[in-house]
Amino acid sequence: MNAANGITSAQLTGRHKADENAPVRIAVKDLNFYYGSFHGLKSVNLDFHDRQVTALIGPSGCGKSTLLRTFNRIYSLYPDQRAEGQILLDGQNVLDAKVDLNELRSRIGMVFQKPTPFPMSIYDNVAFGLRLYEKLPKADLDVRVEESLRKAALWDEVKDKLKQSGMGLSGGQQQRLCIARTVAQRPEVILFDEPTSALDPISTGRIEELIEQLRSEFTIVIVTHNMQQAARISQFTAFMYLGELVEFGPTTRIFMNPEKRQTQDYITGRFG
Amino acid sequence: MPDHIVSSYDTDLEDLRRSISEMGGIAEKMMTDASNALVRRDVPLAQAVIAADRRLDTLQREIEERAILLIARRQPMAIDLRETISAIRVSNDLERIGDLAKNVAKRVVAIAEQIQPQKIVIGVQHMSDLVQEQLKDVLDAYGSRDTKAALDVWERDGAIDALYNSLFRELLTYMMEDPRNISFCTHLLFCAKNIERIGDHTTNIAETIHYLVTGANSLAESDRPKNDASNYATVDLPLPGLGAGA
Repeated sequence: MNAANGITSAQLTGRHKADENAPVRIAVKDLNFYYGSFHGLKSVNLDFHDRQVTALIGPSGCGKSTLLRTFNRIYSLYPDQRAEGQILLDGQNVLDAKVDLNELRSRIGMVFQKPTPFPMSIYDNVAFGLRLYEKLPKADLDVRVEESLRKAALWDEVKDKLKQSGMGLSGGQQQRLCIARTVAQRPEVILFDEPTSALDPISTGRIEELIEQLRSEFTIVIVTHNMQQAARISQFTAFMYLGELVEFGPTTRIFMNPEKRQTQDYITGRFG
Repeated sequence: MPDHIVSSYDTDLEDLRRSISEMGGIAEKMMTDASNALVRRDVPLAQAVIAADRRLDTLQREIEERAILLIARRQPMAIDLRETISAIRVSNDLERIGDLAKNVAKRVVAIAEQIQPQKIVIGVQHMSDLVQEQLKDVLDAYGSRDTKAALDVWERDGAIDALYNSLFRELLTYMMEDPRNISFCTHLLFCAKNIERIGDHTTNIAETIHYLVTGANSLAESDRPKNDASNYATVDLPLPGLGAGA
Protein backbone atom coordinates (compact mmCIF):
# COMPACT_ATOMS: atom_id res chain seq x y z
CA MET A 1 0.00 0.00 0.00
CA ASN A 2 0.93 3.62 -0.03
CA ALA A 3 3.10 3.78 3.06
CA ALA A 4 4.45 7.21 2.16
CA ASN A 5 1.00 8.69 2.65
CA GLY A 6 0.48 6.80 5.85
CA ILE A 7 -2.35 4.83 4.33
CA THR A 8 -2.35 1.18 5.16
CA SER A 9 -4.31 -1.64 3.67
CA ALA A 10 -6.73 -1.57 6.61
CA GLN A 11 -7.76 2.00 5.91
CA LEU A 12 -8.29 1.32 2.26
CA THR A 13 -10.92 -1.33 2.44
CA GLY A 14 -14.69 -1.31 2.27
CA ARG A 15 -16.91 1.60 1.49
CA HIS A 16 -14.47 4.15 2.85
CA LYS A 17 -12.01 3.36 0.12
CA ALA A 18 -11.39 6.37 -2.08
CA ASP A 19 -11.33 5.40 -5.74
CA GLU A 20 -8.70 7.72 -7.15
CA ASN A 21 -9.05 6.10 -10.54
CA ALA A 22 -12.73 6.97 -10.78
CA PRO A 23 -13.33 9.28 -13.74
CA VAL A 24 -13.39 13.01 -12.98
CA ARG A 25 -16.97 14.26 -13.11
CA ILE A 26 -16.30 17.89 -12.23
CA ALA A 27 -12.93 19.53 -12.79
CA VAL A 28 -12.48 22.94 -11.20
CA LYS A 29 -9.70 24.86 -12.92
CA ASP A 30 -8.20 28.07 -11.60
CA LEU A 31 -11.53 29.22 -10.19
CA ASN A 32 -11.80 32.72 -8.72
CA PHE A 33 -14.95 34.11 -7.23
CA TYR A 34 -15.86 37.65 -6.28
CA TYR A 35 -18.61 39.08 -4.10
CA GLY A 36 -18.36 42.61 -5.47
CA SER A 37 -14.78 43.53 -4.57
CA PHE A 38 -14.35 40.70 -2.04
CA HIS A 39 -12.22 37.87 -3.39
CA GLY A 40 -14.15 34.82 -2.10
CA LEU A 41 -12.33 32.00 -3.91
CA LYS A 42 -8.69 32.22 -4.87
CA SER A 43 -7.41 30.09 -7.77
CA VAL A 44 -9.08 26.88 -6.69
CA ASN A 45 -8.11 23.73 -8.59
CA LEU A 46 -9.92 20.56 -7.64
CA ASP A 47 -11.25 17.35 -9.21
CA PHE A 48 -14.46 15.63 -8.11
CA HIS A 49 -14.56 11.94 -8.88
CA ASP A 50 -17.53 10.07 -10.26
CA ARG A 51 -19.71 8.22 -7.71
CA GLN A 52 -17.59 9.35 -4.81
CA VAL A 53 -18.63 11.56 -1.94
CA THR A 54 -16.39 14.59 -1.59
CA ALA A 55 -16.67 16.59 1.63
CA LEU A 56 -15.77 20.27 1.75
CA ILE A 57 -14.67 21.34 5.21
CA GLY A 58 -13.31 24.52 6.71
CA PRO A 59 -14.23 27.30 9.12
CA SER A 60 -17.13 29.66 8.40
CA GLY A 61 -16.36 32.03 5.56
CA CYS A 62 -13.62 29.83 4.06
CA GLY A 63 -15.42 29.58 0.72
CA LYS A 64 -16.76 26.03 0.82
CA SER A 65 -20.40 27.03 0.30
CA THR A 66 -19.28 29.57 -2.29
CA LEU A 67 -17.54 26.79 -4.19
CA LEU A 68 -20.67 24.66 -4.02
CA ARG A 69 -22.79 27.56 -5.27
CA THR A 70 -20.64 28.01 -8.35
CA PHE A 71 -21.33 24.50 -9.65
CA ASN A 72 -24.95 25.16 -10.58
CA ARG A 73 -24.46 28.93 -10.84
CA ILE A 74 -26.95 29.68 -8.09
CA TYR A 75 -24.81 32.77 -7.44
CA SER A 76 -25.91 34.30 -10.75
CA LEU A 77 -29.17 35.28 -9.04
CA TYR A 78 -27.11 38.05 -7.43
CA PRO A 79 -25.89 40.79 -9.77
CA ASP A 80 -22.53 41.68 -8.17
CA GLN A 81 -21.26 38.12 -7.83
CA ARG A 82 -19.06 36.67 -10.52
CA ALA A 83 -16.88 33.64 -11.16
CA GLU A 84 -13.74 33.40 -13.32
CA GLY A 85 -11.98 30.26 -14.44
CA GLN A 86 -13.48 26.96 -15.44
CA ILE A 87 -15.77 24.36 -13.94
CA LEU A 88 -15.82 21.45 -16.34
CA LEU A 89 -18.80 19.12 -16.00
CA ASP A 90 -17.95 16.15 -18.21
CA GLY A 91 -15.58 18.47 -20.06
CA GLN A 92 -18.09 21.29 -20.60
CA ASN A 93 -17.46 24.60 -18.85
CA VAL A 94 -20.61 25.35 -16.85
CA LEU A 95 -19.52 28.98 -16.39
CA ASP A 96 -19.86 29.51 -20.13
CA ALA A 97 -22.68 32.00 -20.77
CA LYS A 98 -24.07 29.69 -23.46
CA VAL A 99 -24.89 26.98 -20.93
CA ASP A 100 -28.61 26.74 -20.30
CA LEU A 101 -29.16 27.31 -16.58
CA ASN A 102 -32.27 25.16 -16.32
CA GLU A 103 -30.55 22.26 -18.00
CA LEU A 104 -27.48 22.77 -15.82
CA ARG A 105 -29.55 22.69 -12.65
CA SER A 106 -31.31 19.53 -13.70
CA ARG A 107 -27.88 17.95 -14.11
CA ILE A 108 -26.54 19.33 -10.83
CA GLY A 109 -29.12 19.15 -8.05
CA MET A 110 -28.81 20.86 -4.71
CA VAL A 111 -30.07 20.22 -1.19
CA PHE A 112 -29.88 23.01 1.37
CA GLN A 113 -29.28 23.30 5.08
CA LYS A 114 -32.91 24.02 5.95
CA PRO A 115 -35.42 21.71 4.32
CA THR A 116 -37.20 23.65 1.57
CA PRO A 117 -40.37 21.75 0.66
CA PHE A 118 -42.80 23.66 -1.55
CA PRO A 119 -46.20 24.47 -0.02
CA MET A 120 -47.94 21.70 -1.93
CA SER A 121 -48.56 17.96 -1.58
CA ILE A 122 -45.77 15.43 -1.13
CA TYR A 123 -46.51 14.04 -4.59
CA ASP A 124 -46.47 17.47 -6.22
CA ASN A 125 -43.21 18.37 -4.51
CA VAL A 126 -41.48 15.45 -6.18
CA ALA A 127 -43.33 15.85 -9.49
CA PHE A 128 -42.68 19.59 -9.65
CA GLY A 129 -39.53 19.57 -11.76
CA LEU A 130 -40.72 16.65 -13.87
CA ARG A 131 -43.90 18.51 -14.84
CA LEU A 132 -41.80 21.54 -15.70
CA TYR A 133 -39.25 19.88 -17.97
CA GLU A 134 -40.62 16.50 -18.98
CA LYS A 135 -44.09 15.95 -20.33
CA LEU A 136 -44.79 12.54 -18.87
CA PRO A 137 -48.06 10.60 -18.96
CA LYS A 138 -49.65 10.29 -15.53
CA ALA A 139 -48.67 6.63 -15.13
CA ASP A 140 -45.02 7.38 -15.92
CA LEU A 141 -45.07 10.33 -13.57
CA ASP A 142 -46.39 8.08 -10.80
CA VAL A 143 -43.53 5.67 -11.43
CA ARG A 144 -40.92 8.43 -11.29
CA VAL A 145 -42.37 9.89 -8.09
CA GLU A 146 -42.37 6.49 -6.39
CA GLU A 147 -38.88 5.69 -7.66
CA SER A 148 -37.58 9.01 -6.34
CA LEU A 149 -39.24 8.66 -2.95
CA ARG A 150 -37.83 5.15 -2.67
CA LYS A 151 -34.32 6.38 -3.50
CA ALA A 152 -34.74 9.04 -0.82
CA ALA A 153 -35.75 6.31 1.67
CA LEU A 154 -39.07 8.09 2.25
CA TRP A 155 -41.57 5.98 0.30
CA ASP A 156 -42.63 3.65 3.11
CA GLU A 157 -43.34 6.60 5.39
CA VAL A 158 -45.40 8.65 2.92
CA LYS A 159 -46.94 6.21 0.41
CA ASP A 160 -50.35 6.44 2.12
CA LYS A 161 -50.41 10.22 2.32
CA LEU A 162 -49.01 11.44 -0.97
CA LYS A 163 -51.77 14.02 -1.25
CA GLN A 164 -50.96 15.57 2.10
CA SER A 165 -48.84 18.70 2.34
CA GLY A 166 -45.07 18.31 2.38
CA MET A 167 -44.96 20.99 5.05
CA GLY A 168 -46.60 18.57 7.51
CA LEU A 169 -43.65 16.19 7.55
CA SER A 170 -40.95 16.18 10.24
CA GLY A 171 -37.70 18.06 9.58
CA GLY A 172 -35.83 14.90 8.64
CA GLN A 173 -38.65 13.73 6.37
CA GLN A 174 -38.82 17.17 4.74
CA GLN A 175 -35.10 16.95 4.02
CA ARG A 176 -35.54 13.52 2.44
CA LEU A 177 -38.47 14.93 0.43
CA CYS A 178 -36.12 17.60 -0.91
CA ILE A 179 -33.62 14.86 -1.78
CA ALA A 180 -36.42 12.95 -3.57
CA ARG A 181 -37.29 16.11 -5.50
CA THR A 182 -33.65 16.47 -6.53
CA VAL A 183 -33.24 12.80 -7.40
CA ALA A 184 -36.41 12.91 -9.55
CA GLN A 185 -34.55 15.06 -12.09
CA ARG A 186 -32.02 12.22 -12.51
CA PRO A 187 -29.09 14.58 -12.01
CA GLU A 188 -25.45 13.55 -12.39
CA VAL A 189 -24.25 15.47 -9.37
CA ILE A 190 -25.96 16.25 -6.07
CA LEU A 191 -24.70 19.11 -3.93
CA PHE A 192 -25.50 19.04 -0.22
CA ASP A 193 -25.00 22.25 1.75
CA GLU A 194 -24.92 21.22 5.43
CA PRO A 195 -27.91 18.93 4.91
CA THR A 196 -28.13 17.69 8.50
CA SER A 197 -27.19 20.69 10.62
CA ALA A 198 -30.86 21.36 11.41
CA LEU A 199 -31.69 17.72 12.12
CA ASP A 200 -31.66 15.47 15.19
CA PRO A 201 -29.16 12.56 15.37
CA ILE A 202 -31.63 9.94 14.13
CA SER A 203 -32.69 11.97 11.09
CA THR A 204 -29.00 12.78 10.55
CA GLY A 205 -28.21 9.06 10.55
CA ARG A 206 -30.93 8.43 7.95
CA ILE A 207 -29.58 11.16 5.66
CA GLU A 208 -26.03 9.82 6.02
CA GLU A 209 -27.22 6.31 5.20
CA LEU A 210 -29.07 7.74 2.22
CA ILE A 211 -26.04 9.62 0.93
CA GLU A 212 -24.07 6.37 1.05
CA GLN A 213 -26.77 4.67 -1.04
CA LEU A 214 -27.06 7.57 -3.50
CA ARG A 215 -23.32 7.35 -4.12
CA SER A 216 -23.84 4.25 -6.28
CA GLU A 217 -25.62 6.47 -8.82
CA PHE A 218 -24.54 10.06 -8.30
CA THR A 219 -21.44 12.13 -7.74
CA ILE A 220 -21.91 13.82 -4.39
CA VAL A 221 -20.40 16.96 -2.94
CA ILE A 222 -21.23 17.83 0.65
CA VAL A 223 -20.40 20.87 2.75
CA THR A 224 -20.40 20.04 6.44
CA HIS A 225 -19.25 21.59 9.68
CA ASN A 226 -19.39 18.22 11.36
CA MET A 227 -15.92 16.76 11.07
CA GLN A 228 -16.98 13.28 12.13
CA GLN A 229 -19.71 13.35 9.50
CA ALA A 230 -17.18 14.19 6.81
CA ALA A 231 -14.97 11.37 8.07
CA ARG A 232 -17.88 8.92 8.12
CA ILE A 233 -19.53 9.50 4.78
CA SER A 234 -16.97 10.83 2.33
CA GLN A 235 -14.27 9.18 0.26
CA PHE A 236 -12.47 12.46 -0.47
CA THR A 237 -12.10 15.57 1.64
CA ALA A 238 -11.08 19.09 0.70
CA PHE A 239 -10.04 21.52 3.41
CA MET A 240 -10.48 25.19 2.57
CA TYR A 241 -9.36 28.27 4.42
CA LEU A 242 -9.71 31.97 3.56
CA GLY A 243 -10.92 31.22 0.06
CA GLU A 244 -8.09 28.86 -0.76
CA LEU A 245 -7.96 25.12 -1.13
CA VAL A 246 -5.42 24.09 1.50
CA GLU A 247 -5.46 20.32 1.15
CA PHE A 248 -7.34 17.69 -0.80
CA GLY A 249 -7.06 13.92 -0.62
CA PRO A 250 -8.61 10.61 0.41
CA THR A 251 -10.67 11.14 3.56
CA THR A 252 -8.81 8.49 5.55
CA ARG A 253 -5.55 10.30 4.99
CA ILE A 254 -6.93 13.78 5.67
CA PHE A 255 -8.38 12.71 9.01
CA MET A 256 -5.64 10.32 10.15
CA ASN A 257 -2.56 12.00 8.81
CA PRO A 258 -3.03 15.34 7.05
CA GLU A 259 -0.02 16.80 5.27
CA LYS A 260 -0.66 20.45 6.00
CA ARG A 261 -0.34 21.98 9.42
CA GLN A 262 -3.47 24.14 8.92
CA THR A 263 -5.55 21.07 8.13
CA GLN A 264 -4.31 19.27 11.22
CA ASP A 265 -4.99 22.28 13.44
CA TYR A 266 -8.51 22.64 12.08
CA ILE A 267 -9.63 19.01 12.27
CA THR A 268 -8.14 18.54 15.75
CA GLY A 269 -9.86 21.67 17.06
CA ARG A 270 -6.74 23.76 17.46
CA PHE A 271 -7.67 26.54 15.08
CA GLY A 272 -7.08 29.97 16.58
CA MET B 1 1.67 22.79 18.32
CA PRO B 2 -1.04 25.32 19.27
CA ASP B 3 -3.39 24.49 22.12
CA HIS B 4 -6.87 23.14 21.58
CA ILE B 5 -9.70 25.63 21.60
CA VAL B 6 -11.19 23.49 24.38
CA SER B 7 -8.42 23.63 26.99
CA SER B 8 -9.62 20.58 28.94
CA TYR B 9 -8.82 18.55 25.82
CA ASP B 10 -5.14 19.47 26.26
CA THR B 11 -5.37 18.52 29.92
CA ASP B 12 -6.79 15.09 29.00
CA LEU B 13 -3.97 14.38 26.56
CA GLU B 14 -1.36 15.72 28.98
CA ASP B 15 -2.71 13.41 31.71
CA LEU B 16 -2.31 10.44 29.38
CA ARG B 17 1.27 11.43 28.61
CA ARG B 18 2.10 11.87 32.27
CA SER B 19 0.69 8.47 33.21
CA ILE B 20 2.65 6.78 30.42
CA SER B 21 5.76 8.47 31.67
CA GLU B 22 5.08 7.24 35.21
CA MET B 23 4.49 3.70 33.90
CA GLY B 24 7.75 3.90 31.95
CA GLY B 25 9.65 4.87 35.09
CA ILE B 26 8.17 2.00 37.08
CA ALA B 27 8.72 -0.59 34.32
CA GLU B 28 12.33 0.52 33.88
CA LYS B 29 13.04 0.25 37.61
CA MET B 30 11.33 -3.15 37.85
CA MET B 31 13.44 -4.43 34.97
CA THR B 32 16.71 -3.13 36.47
CA ASP B 33 15.86 -4.35 39.96
CA ALA B 34 14.83 -7.80 38.75
CA SER B 35 18.10 -8.15 36.89
CA ASN B 36 20.16 -6.97 39.88
CA ALA B 37 18.22 -9.25 42.21
CA LEU B 38 19.05 -12.18 39.93
CA VAL B 39 22.76 -11.43 39.79
CA ARG B 40 23.10 -10.64 43.52
CA ARG B 41 20.61 -13.29 44.71
CA ASP B 42 18.85 -10.44 46.47
CA VAL B 43 15.49 -11.82 47.63
CA PRO B 44 14.17 -8.61 49.31
CA LEU B 45 14.86 -6.67 46.10
CA ALA B 46 13.06 -9.36 44.11
CA GLN B 47 10.08 -9.05 46.44
CA ALA B 48 10.06 -5.29 45.95
CA VAL B 49 9.83 -5.90 42.18
CA ILE B 50 6.87 -8.25 42.69
CA ALA B 51 5.11 -5.62 44.82
CA ALA B 52 5.73 -2.80 42.31
CA ASP B 53 3.76 -4.59 39.60
CA ARG B 54 0.44 -3.70 41.21
CA ARG B 55 0.89 0.05 40.61
CA LEU B 56 1.79 -0.65 36.97
CA ASP B 57 -1.40 -2.68 36.48
CA THR B 58 -3.49 0.09 38.05
CA LEU B 59 -1.93 2.73 35.81
CA GLN B 60 -2.51 0.62 32.73
CA ARG B 61 -6.21 0.23 33.54
CA GLU B 62 -6.50 3.96 34.23
CA ILE B 63 -4.86 4.90 30.95
CA GLU B 64 -7.10 2.55 29.01
CA GLU B 65 -10.21 3.92 30.71
CA ARG B 66 -9.19 7.53 30.19
CA ALA B 67 -8.32 6.91 26.53
CA ILE B 68 -11.71 5.29 25.93
CA LEU B 69 -13.48 8.22 27.59
CA LEU B 70 -11.43 10.66 25.54
CA ILE B 71 -12.45 8.91 22.32
CA ALA B 72 -16.10 8.89 23.41
CA ARG B 73 -16.13 12.53 24.51
CA ARG B 74 -13.93 14.24 21.99
CA GLN B 75 -13.75 12.03 18.88
CA PRO B 76 -10.06 12.80 18.41
CA MET B 77 -8.73 13.24 14.88
CA ALA B 78 -5.29 12.95 13.25
CA ILE B 79 -2.43 13.47 15.73
CA ASP B 80 -4.81 13.46 18.72
CA LEU B 81 -6.29 10.13 17.67
CA ARG B 82 -2.84 8.64 17.11
CA GLU B 83 -1.73 10.00 20.47
CA THR B 84 -4.68 8.33 22.20
CA ILE B 85 -4.27 5.01 20.42
CA SER B 86 -0.52 5.09 21.08
CA ALA B 87 -1.13 5.64 24.79
CA ILE B 88 -3.28 2.48 24.87
CA ARG B 89 -0.69 0.46 22.97
CA VAL B 90 2.34 1.66 24.93
CA SER B 91 0.62 1.18 28.29
CA ASN B 92 -0.17 -2.41 27.27
CA ASP B 93 3.46 -3.04 26.38
CA LEU B 94 4.69 -1.49 29.63
CA GLU B 95 2.21 -3.54 31.63
CA ARG B 96 3.51 -6.70 29.96
CA ILE B 97 7.10 -5.64 30.61
CA GLY B 98 6.16 -5.32 34.29
CA ASP B 99 4.67 -8.83 34.28
CA LEU B 100 7.80 -10.28 32.72
CA ALA B 101 10.09 -8.49 35.20
CA LYS B 102 7.87 -9.73 38.00
CA ASN B 103 8.20 -13.27 36.71
CA VAL B 104 12.00 -12.96 36.74
CA ALA B 105 11.78 -11.70 40.34
CA LYS B 106 9.63 -14.68 41.36
CA ARG B 107 12.23 -17.04 39.94
CA VAL B 108 14.97 -15.22 41.86
CA VAL B 109 13.06 -16.11 45.04
CA ALA B 110 12.64 -19.71 43.86
CA ILE B 111 16.31 -20.36 43.04
CA ALA B 112 17.86 -18.31 45.85
CA GLU B 113 18.88 -21.38 47.84
CA GLN B 114 20.31 -23.35 44.93
CA ILE B 115 23.87 -23.64 43.74
CA GLN B 116 24.32 -21.05 41.04
CA PRO B 117 27.21 -21.23 38.60
CA GLN B 118 27.88 -17.50 38.48
CA LYS B 119 29.37 -17.58 35.00
CA ILE B 120 26.02 -18.56 33.48
CA VAL B 121 24.27 -15.74 35.30
CA ILE B 122 26.77 -13.32 33.77
CA GLY B 123 25.46 -14.18 30.28
CA VAL B 124 21.90 -13.40 31.32
CA GLN B 125 23.07 -10.20 32.98
CA HIS B 126 24.76 -9.07 29.78
CA MET B 127 21.56 -9.60 27.82
CA SER B 128 19.58 -7.84 30.52
CA ASP B 129 21.91 -4.83 30.31
CA LEU B 130 21.24 -4.56 26.59
CA VAL B 131 17.48 -4.79 27.08
CA GLN B 132 17.55 -2.20 29.87
CA GLU B 133 19.31 0.17 27.51
CA GLN B 134 16.71 -0.56 24.84
CA LEU B 135 13.90 0.18 27.26
CA LYS B 136 15.47 3.43 28.42
CA ASP B 137 16.13 4.56 24.85
CA VAL B 138 12.64 3.73 23.63
CA LEU B 139 11.02 5.57 26.55
CA ASP B 140 13.19 8.60 25.82
CA ALA B 141 12.21 8.35 22.15
CA TYR B 142 8.54 8.24 23.15
CA GLY B 143 8.93 11.31 25.33
CA SER B 144 10.67 13.29 22.61
CA ARG B 145 8.66 11.81 19.70
CA ASP B 146 11.96 10.82 18.10
CA THR B 147 11.38 8.35 15.25
CA LYS B 148 15.09 8.10 14.46
CA ALA B 149 15.89 6.95 18.01
CA ALA B 150 12.91 4.59 17.90
CA LEU B 151 14.19 3.06 14.66
CA ASP B 152 17.61 2.51 16.29
CA VAL B 153 15.98 0.57 19.12
CA TRP B 154 13.92 -1.42 16.65
CA GLU B 155 17.00 -2.43 14.65
CA ARG B 156 19.06 -3.39 17.71
CA ASP B 157 16.63 -6.09 18.80
CA GLY B 158 18.29 -8.58 16.47
CA ALA B 159 21.41 -8.57 18.64
CA ILE B 160 19.35 -9.48 21.70
CA ASP B 161 17.68 -12.36 19.89
CA ALA B 162 21.10 -13.64 18.85
CA LEU B 163 22.35 -13.43 22.41
CA TYR B 164 19.31 -15.29 23.69
CA ASN B 165 19.91 -18.03 21.17
CA SER B 166 23.48 -18.56 22.34
CA LEU B 167 22.36 -18.49 26.01
CA PHE B 168 19.78 -21.13 25.20
CA ARG B 169 22.43 -23.46 23.82
CA GLU B 170 24.78 -22.73 26.68
CA LEU B 171 22.16 -23.53 29.32
CA LEU B 172 21.22 -26.80 27.58
CA THR B 173 24.86 -27.78 27.66
CA TYR B 174 25.13 -27.10 31.40
CA MET B 175 22.06 -29.18 32.05
CA MET B 176 23.57 -32.10 30.17
CA GLU B 177 26.86 -31.78 31.97
CA ASP B 178 25.30 -32.18 35.38
CA PRO B 179 21.64 -32.99 36.09
CA ARG B 180 21.91 -31.00 39.35
CA ASN B 181 22.04 -27.87 37.17
CA ILE B 182 18.69 -28.62 35.55
CA SER B 183 16.38 -26.90 38.05
CA PHE B 184 18.50 -23.79 38.25
CA CYS B 185 19.21 -23.63 34.53
CA THR B 186 15.54 -24.06 33.65
CA HIS B 187 14.63 -21.11 35.84
CA LEU B 188 17.46 -19.13 34.33
CA LEU B 189 16.29 -20.06 30.85
CA PHE B 190 12.84 -18.67 31.64
CA CYS B 191 14.46 -15.52 33.03
CA ALA B 192 16.42 -15.14 29.81
CA LYS B 193 13.29 -15.72 27.75
CA ASN B 194 11.37 -13.14 29.80
CA ILE B 195 14.12 -10.59 29.28
CA GLU B 196 14.17 -11.34 25.57
CA ARG B 197 10.37 -10.81 25.51
CA ILE B 198 10.84 -7.45 27.23
CA GLY B 199 13.13 -6.60 24.31
CA ASP B 200 10.28 -7.49 21.93
CA HIS B 201 7.95 -5.13 23.78
CA THR B 202 10.47 -2.31 23.40
CA THR B 203 10.36 -2.86 19.64
CA ASN B 204 6.55 -2.73 19.80
CA ILE B 205 6.86 0.65 21.50
CA ALA B 206 9.33 1.75 18.81
CA GLU B 207 6.76 0.80 16.16
CA THR B 208 4.09 2.77 18.01
CA ILE B 209 6.35 5.84 18.13
CA HIS B 210 6.81 5.58 14.37
CA TYR B 211 3.03 5.37 13.93
CA LEU B 212 2.42 8.22 16.36
CA VAL B 213 4.78 10.60 14.58
CA THR B 214 4.33 9.64 10.94
CA GLY B 215 0.81 8.17 10.88
CA ALA B 216 2.19 5.17 9.03
CA ASN B 217 2.26 1.58 10.23
CA SER B 218 5.04 0.86 7.76
CA LEU B 219 7.56 -0.08 10.46
CA ALA B 220 5.21 -2.63 11.99
CA GLU B 221 4.44 -4.02 8.53
CA SER B 222 8.06 -4.48 7.51
CA ASP B 223 10.24 -7.34 8.67
CA ARG B 224 12.35 -6.75 11.71
CA PRO B 225 15.77 -8.42 11.72
CA LYS B 226 15.19 -11.58 13.77
CA ASN B 227 18.06 -13.64 15.06
CA ASP B 228 16.28 -15.91 17.47
CA ALA B 229 16.96 -19.37 16.13
CA SER B 230 16.29 -21.08 19.47
CA ASN B 231 12.91 -22.32 18.20
CA TYR B 232 14.86 -24.71 16.03
CA ALA B 233 17.87 -25.31 18.29
CA THR B 234 18.73 -28.64 19.85
CA VAL B 235 21.84 -29.93 21.55
CA ASP B 236 22.45 -33.65 21.13
CA LEU B 237 23.18 -35.65 24.22
CA PRO B 238 26.25 -37.85 23.59
CA LEU B 239 24.76 -41.27 24.47
CA PRO B 240 27.22 -43.86 25.77
CA GLY B 241 27.71 -46.80 23.45
CA LEU B 242 26.91 -44.88 20.30
CA GLY B 243 30.13 -44.35 18.50
CA ALA B 244 30.76 -41.66 15.93
CA GLY B 245 30.37 -44.17 13.14
CA ALA B 246 27.10 -45.69 14.44
